[in-house]
Amino acid sequence: MTTENRAPVHELEGSLDPIEECYRLGWTDGLPVAPPTVEKVAAMLEYVGLAPGDLLGEVPVRRRSLTAEQAAANAVMAGCLPEYFPVVLATMRALFEYDPNCIHEASAATNSPGIIMLVNGPIRSKIGLNCTGNLFSPGHRANSTIGRAVRLILINVFEQRANVLDRGCLGSLAKYGVCFGEDEENSPWEPFHVSRGFDAGQSTVTVGTIQDPEMLGNRYGVTGESVMDATADAMASHGLGIYLNDGPWFWIVGHWHAEMLGRQGWDRPAIQQYVWENAWRSRARMKRLGAVNGAVVPEDETTRVPAAAKPEDILIVKAGGDSGIYSELIMNYHGVPAITVPIDEP
Amino acid sequence: MTTNSLATASLTTNSVKLVDPTGADPGLDAWSLAPRPADLRGKRVGLLDNSKANSDVLLRAIADILNSEFEFADVFYVKKHSASLPPTPEVMAALHRNADLIITGIGD
Repeated sequence: MTTENRAPVHELEGSLDPIEECYRLGWTDGLPVAPPTVEKVAAMLEYVGLAPGDLLGEVPVRRRSLTAEQAAANAVMAGCLPEYFPVVLATMRALFEYDPNCIHEASAATNSPGIIMLVNGPIRSKIGLNCTGNLFSPGHRANSTIGRAVRLILINVFEQRANVLDRGCLGSLAKYGVCFGEDEENSPWEPFHVSRGFDAGQSTVTVGTIQDPEMLGNRYGVTGESVMDATADAMASHGLGIYLNDGPWFWIVGHWHAEMLGRQGWDRPAIQQYVWENAWRSRARMKRLGAVNGAVVPEDETTRVPAAAKPEDILIVKAGGDSGIYSELIMNYHGVPAITVPIDEP
Repeated sequence: MTTNSLATASLTTNSVKLVDPTGADPGLDAWSLAPRPADLRGKRVGLLDNSKANSDVLLRAIADILNSEFEFADVFYVKKHSASLPPTPEVMAALHRNADLIITGIGD
């Protein structure tokens, strides 16, 4: 829907520092932003062919809507180039299509979920999105700014300000933005988005609410079972996720773990089944650890609480570098399960 | 200086024009409070559990204390599907049908 809604324009005198003005106006995430000049916002909109007043979605519980112009202004501030903007727009579309109120939920929750953006397909190389070494580190403009753009939209448009409507207890490093690509070219398995029914040539983004990633360091195992046991053990230790038991998990399988699993003939469904069967604790143990409410009763000792509801909820993604023998486990928790949507490119 | 249109923004040399990235505040007019009951005596009270652990314990204890003073006609209990999402339309409709006033709160 196109509206006549236009964002106000703030005209600064030449003597004012635009970056400091953005701070003064409360538009930042704490880091300096690129000032959202009229020219840069227009270029962002022109690239994707949207009019400023195009309505992208509305969050009923907040009574706030998002226009293309507001999205573009925040993408500029995050440091995005125009060719990154389709990923930002696809992510917001995924959130709006799942449940517009999830945008409130994803930021108000005390357990502080961040938003994961897993990119597949040709757009990864087009925008220089890192898929290998230092996957979650600073250093790559596309990775660092796309995730930040979504967070700035949540902060500036939907008022997800820390300790105001964002009620995070300990907060999350993931809220600075988690955007990365799958290392499809070096994977023993078909690309993640292909496993979800998309063509390999269609770029997609998979969006979900997550807790902070956890590094998995099985460095000495020489069998696929050893690696999968380590992952299952880490999953079972997450009391919070097991208590709710409603969301998927991302296993970002690092280079050498993937190489060994592939070489030993483990395909995606077999891995999912194995890890699912081994990722559990007894209900009694979960109660003693305070992860499940209530007193321990005798049948709790023999009642298994699985970390994932079903094998397909363990999402296998190959990414990361080959400098060490590691993987990453990410709990997709509270709010938006991993949703994969196409990225519309101009 | 703030203008409402890019088209009418003046072209001043040595100035920078920034697009406001914030959401529009719906304003106080967008919200209104339901009329307050003059007296709680004999009213039907609704308890809206936010689904956090022990929310029901807390709300029922509050209702018990108030009931001893105001002798409610009924206590209607209902639970949200998520602590951080609004009640479903069905839950809201049930509250409208069954309660004159609502107590809600958080337990964890």
